[in-house]
Amino acid sequence: MLNFAHRFRFSPLSFCSGTVAVLAVSYIGLIAVVMSYATFTVEFSQSVRNNETSVAELERQYFATMAEITKTDYVAAGYATPSIKVFVPAKSVTALR
Amino acid sequence: MRAQFRSRIRLILAGVICIAIVIVIRLYFIQIVHGEDYTQKADRQFASGGSGLFDRGSIYFRLKDGTPISAATLSTGFLVAINPQTLGDPEAAYAAITAVASSSIPYGTFIAAAAKKAQVYIEVAHHLSDENGRALAVRAIPGIQVLRERWRYYPGVSLAAHSIGTISYGSGDTLIGQTGLEEVYDGPLSRSGDALYKNFFAELFSNVGDLLVSAKDAREGEIMTTIEPEVQTRLENDIAKVSKRYLSHESGGIIMDPRTGEIIALAIYPTYDANNRQNVSASLLGNPLAEHVHEFGSIMKPITMAAGLDAGVVTAETTYNDVGCITVDTKKICNWDLKARGVVPMKQIIVQSLNLGAAWVATELGQEKFREYFTKLFGQKTGIDLPNESGALLGNLSKTQQINFDTMAYGHGIAVTPIQMIRALGALANSGTMVQPHLVSSVRLNSGIERKFDWSQTTPVFGANAVRETADMMTAVVDEKLQGGKAIISTMSVAAKTGTAQLTNEQGGYFSDRFFHSFVGFFPAYNPRFIILLYTSDPQNVTYASDTLGSTFLDLTHFLIDYYAIPPDRGFATTTPS
Repeated sequence: MLNFAHRFRFSPLSFCSGTVAVLAVSYIGLIAVVMSYATFTVEFSQSVRNNETSVAELERQYFATMAEITKTDYVAAGYATPSIKVFVPAKSVTALR
Repeated sequence: MRAQFRSRIRLILAGVICIAIVIVIRLYFIQIVHGEDYTQKADRQFASGGSGLFDRGSIYFRLKDGTPISAATLSTGFLVAINPQTLGDPEAAYAAITAVASSSIPYGTFIAAAAKKAQVYIEVAHHLSDENGRALAVRAIPGIQVLRERWRYYPGVSLAAHSIGTISYGSGDTLIGQTGLEEVYDGPLSRSGDALYKNFFAELFSNVGDLLVSAKDAREGEIMTTIEPEVQTRLENDIAKVSKRYLSHESGGIIMDPRTGEIIALAIYPTYDANNRQNVSASLLGNPLAEHVHEFGSIMKPITMAAGLDAGVVTAETTYNDVGCITVDTKKICNWDLKARGVVPMKQIIVQSLNLGAAWVATELGQEKFREYFTKLFGQKTGIDLPNESGALLGNLSKTQQINFDTMAYGHGIAVTPIQMIRALGALANSGTMVQPHLVSSVRLNSGIERKFDWSQTTPVFGANAVRETADMMTAVVDEKLQGGKAIISTMSVAAKTGTAQLTNEQGGYFSDRFFHSFVGFFPAYNPRFIILLYTSDPQNVTYASDTLGSTFLDLTHFLIDYYAIPPDRGFATTTPS
């Protein structure tokens, strides 16, 4: 015990120096974290927007393709209307006539 | 030991001081020595701060399986600005800009802008793609700045443009919704601008409350519409075909779920490119389906019939003597072909579209009852989530001359909006109850919660029996009359009615050779999934709605049956009529 107390005897100067050192390192560390976080946030949000733009372009292509399919005249393209349509009987709540 | 400890502390302090010195020196070089370079680099906006960029929530269509597809979103790219003070060779700069920009100012205007040496910033081109913007920025042409830009983008181009709406600068310098859903839902769509860029630690120290429970996150979100893009595309394509073929003044259509009021598609022709509105007339930007009133003609007859049946003044077996023309209050009214039918049952009023029959039902109903039904049906706006909805013109309801009621019975002398008309006719497809038509089902908040809107308000108008008997009569129109009976779908009961009304002239009368055509139908007739309302105004060289809109209605009906795999409600196998 004596030996331990002797080793870590309290000194105001050492305490203050240590505290200053810890605070200084913490401060620099905090700045680094905040700056990294801010950079990451900006880059992430920018990448989200860029992805959004890419998705919008894909959606434009989808709409354009859909419009083209809708406009297609299948008869003119050589396809024939099916001569018979067979439906799977489904339980219906309606009055069958 | 104490000396040893002290030396260690000194060592740590020395290390800290060294790091601090290195940082200070680094900051000195960044901010002081290379400050100008970084400023210029920032001007070119390869790493935009972002807070100044436009931001706004998206509007989504919904596919039949619930998948959202953007109707209105944001696109990011670059704009080009010049600094006339540092711009060296304006002609070379103009050539470089026009090589990559799809839209830029004309040459003369550019040269004039470049000559304004007192200014330091003039925007000359917008909406450059990422690739083109970067290519131009890499050239580092003195006096040209390539800046990050974000703008509203409509991937569907003209798809549902009238309903999705537009944004523009209002009285201030902020882009806000001006028409359509952009206007109605401007609150949830607008953004204060820094949602994605906020500094967590800054927020932690300055605004702990907002970090935990953000009022913005509970307000801002994305709008989920009920519009199905494939059905919308089909409807728009069909409506455009009708309008172009008959050179109509305007055509439109609505497809609605009569049980819920969800509008699946709504189209107007002429329409416009929502991404390029430079040459679009302001009159095109509204939504005629909610803003314009029309006299719809004979599609009003099923409503008159349902009212007569519901009030008990007629039954399906009731007959009347049709003489072709009658005079009421000194005015003569006739059937569309001026021919008499003799003694006919109620069903023929709908199947043969007899004006005198509808007038006869109105007379049997009496003015008070007629007024009561029609006020309930059209007396109030529908409350649809579109701006500037108009009310019906019901002045004739307050008059006492019977001629007014007789003509209203077949759709003349009463003007309503297409949205009001489909809501009223929707009662015939929903056991006699009117629902609230709407375009938006929910808002998906930034907090992740999807807040559904309450559109459950209903208005009972007719009894179920009256509606069923009316649907019987309307089904006979398709099975027996439309396209000479060839339109029948043997696996699906379809109820429909055509309407042809004369257009009004400036003198308060009617043109004898200009018409308003309308068509309504729903299916399966006795448990409808969809109700379709179509119209075309002032089609050329054609008189009857069955000619202009009959095949369009059938095309849409077949498409919807196939697309939604609606099970047949009568007969299970069929040979398609040729």
